[in-house]
Amino acid sequence: MVNAIKGIFITCDVPMAQFIVNMNASLPPSQRFIIHILDNTHMFVQPHVAEMIQSRITEFREQISYEKPL
Amino acid sequence: MAGHGERGRPSKKHKTSDHHRNNPVVVPDTDIQSDDDDNARGDSAAKKWDFTKLELKADHANRPLWACADGRIFLETFSPLYKQAYDFLIAIAEPVCRPESMHEYNLTPHSLYAAVSVGLETETIVAVLNKLSKTKLPKEMVDFIHASTANYGKVKLVLKKNRYFVESPFPEVLRTLLRDEIISQSRIVPPEGSQGGDAFTISKTMGEIEGRHDELLNEADLAAVVEEKETHSFEIDPSKVENVKQRCLPNALNFPMLEEYDFRNDTVNPDLNVELKPQAQPRPYQEKSLSKMFGNVAGRARSGIIVLPCGAGKSLVGVSAACRIRKSCLCLATNAVSVDQWAFQFKLWSTIRDDQICRFTSDNKERFRGNASVVVTTYNMVAFGGKRSEESEKIIEEIRNREWGLLLMDEVHVVPAHMFRKVISITKSHCKLGLTATLVREDERITDLNFLIGPKLYEANWLDLVKGGFIANVQCAEVWCPMTKEFFAEYLKKENSKKKQALYVMNPNKFRACEFLIKFHEQQRGDKIIVFADNLFALTAYALKLNKPMIYGSTSHQERTRILHQFKHSPNVNTVFLSKVGDNSIDIPEANVIIQISSHAGSRRQEAQRLGRILRAKGKLQDRMAGGKEEYNAFFYSLVSTDTQEMYYSTKRQQFLIDQGYSFKVITSLPPSDSGPELNYHSQEEQLGLLNQVLTAGDEAVGLEQLEVDVDDIALLKARRSVGSMSAMSGANGMVYMEYKYDPSLSPNLPTTPIHTFTPFKPNIL
Repeated sequence: MVNAIKGIFITCDVPMAQFIVNMNASLPPSQRFIIHILDNTHMFVQPHVAEMIQSRITEFREQISYEKPL
Repeated sequence: MAGHGERGRPSKKHKTSDHHRNNPVVVPDTDIQSDDDDNARGDSAAKKWDFTKLELKADHANRPLWACADGRIFLETFSPLYKQAYDFLIAIAEPVCRPESMHEYNLTPHSLYAAVSVGLETETIVAVLNKLSKTKLPKEMVDFIHASTANYGKVKLVLKKNRYFVESPFPEVLRTLLRDEIISQSRIVPPEGSQGGDAFTISKTMGEIEGRHDELLNEADLAAVVEEKETHSFEIDPSKVENVKQRCLPNALNFPMLEEYDFRNDTVNPDLNVELKPQAQPRPYQEKSLSKMFGNVAGRARSGIIVLPCGAGKSLVGVSAACRIRKSCLCLATNAVSVDQWAFQFKLWSTIRDDQICRFTSDNKERFRGNASVVVTTYNMVAFGGKRSEESEKIIEEIRNREWGLLLMDEVHVVPAHMFRKVISITKSHCKLGLTATLVREDERITDLNFLIGPKLYEANWLDLVKGGFIANVQCAEVWCPMTKEFFAEYLKKENSKKKQALYVMNPNKFRACEFLIKFHEQQRGDKIIVFADNLFALTAYALKLNKPMIYGSTSHQERTRILHQFKHSPNVNTVFLSKVGDNSIDIPEANVIIQISSHAGSRRQEAQRLGRILRAKGKLQDRMAGGKEEYNAFFYSLVSTDTQEMYYSTKRQQFLIDQGYSFKVITSLPPSDSGPELNYHSQEEQLGLLNQVLTAGDEAVGLEQLEVDVDDIALLKARRSVGSMSAMSGANGMVYMEYKYDPSLSPNLPTTPIHTFTPFKPNIL
């Protein structure tokens, strides 16, 4: 029988994939969201985490970019 | 607005300010709120960019600059009046950002203080500014200039025939000063001065003509300037000069004193008979900086700081100043190597005889000969507080007792303020000249220099110097190296937080980019390359793998000399790896390529100093001029691992150079994708091996280099590991440099110990 799981397919670059993997691993097992890592740049995750991933990545990006104070 | 865009600021700011304009009720952006103490900026971003109030003059097209109410001034560099306007602006305002077509300046109390001290008067400043401005001068700006210059320059401290006088053309100002208890106690009342405390000595002096800006003033203005003036003065006790000066600072009486040295009329101190050699032809900008130091008419010397980029010939300015004053000169450098270089420069440019110059360092104590001479020494030798050997005690005693015509101070931006105070209190000098390339300090102590040495007299524009072919035309590039999967996975792990730096520096993609660049420049262009790495672990790993020589803190003096000699002369040694010891003290004029693989967090100064290593112009002048054969003849690469902290630091570090008009090109495709195993760390096994090496190394081993005690060196910038916010670690909180505290107990017989005695713990590869 075919099992269908609803989820989000993520395409990103290599380091960001690692970032998401690391994020997933830091959560308690019950909250982990990665369903399947397809390859270095693709993965399949649960549908409710899209926003969370995006905000965490934005936060990470802001941390590593410098803006000259006005 | 053009200045805004060219600063390389992210467009995000634009959006927020537009946003504000449209919806004034929106909660203020925290960025804008928190970043400045200036109220005009903080209360409304929209106001800052609203120029509708400015009134445009009818003939605005012929005028070169825009003056805004908040003190900002924008200068069009393509205006025919650019040169005159630049000379004027640099005298009255602080340059903020100077890209190719549009400069931004800021009027500050300090910059106006500097303007007054080089002889500009309030009315002249306003008149010339008004003449140059496309718009009617905003009232706020005129008021600001009046308020800031009201007291500056009204009082002068003059050392005449060994007596200190407080001089002013305004007797009422002197009376105000004398109402202060400390100052009146310091006053020496002349014996026949029975006519009471209000009598001042009156002398007549010719007013100074501000020759440089004459053409911009009409005749009526000029006539007013040349008028004869009366000067009133009273004498003060030499031992209390410091106290009097302190009382006059803005936080007390607010009559900052200008210091001038009337060297032509100094008959007490013996003359030093030296002249510039005929072949020493100061360049136009060197002339200009000297003309700020020596007034046009008076023949007096002013104290202050001259800012010229590395490689632009600061030493000729220093030597010329000494040759004009022609009195004893004490020259202070940061380390023994620069002491030798200064002594060499004096002999190169002036007719000084060997018996008129002596060096005083921990391993080279030459005694003074004759009663007027040039002495070259280091800050540490003078400021050293511990026990000295008998020999150096004698020399210091002589330095203390002598009255110096000129105190010449090199690299003033690196010397801690307390050391300056010490040096200045020990040495009695008529005139102080500070030289530096980068007047930025992460600790924001730069303003202290204004009062310890004097105002900034002149600052050159880097891009003009590049155009004139006086310094090398450098192509700056930031090479983006993506982290490999394995390295980034480890980088993200919490338990590796102490190894983050090692992980992004040892990123195999960075290594390959570095190897590629070295091969390219060595083989295709025949260049000489310096690779900088602050991280000792990376330095050794890179140098060993690529089989190149390296120099770091504990490399012995002989070893350094040998490596540098081979780098200069051998065709087989074209690359040298340097730790941060190479930032300041090692002079390598041959190099024209810099590859930076790791750096000291967000230090703007380090970036500028490193660039300075390759700024000395090489090759023929006509090739270097605009349109010459070689557009760029020097290269500055900064290798950055993307997605890591390094991105933040890298952008911050570049700010100073961007403000000087440099632009950084981003390169993303290095090494080229078709490069294979000819570069190291191609295969995944090799990469994993490297990763393992990094992970198994102790936390200490992968940390930053700790520079050993070096008696003569003020490379005292020890990095400290601590947990803190990103802004604190990058210097935004003013904490990035920990000043090195000297502990005499570490080496009790210091002055006599030879420097650089540390033996390398790893065999060198040469």
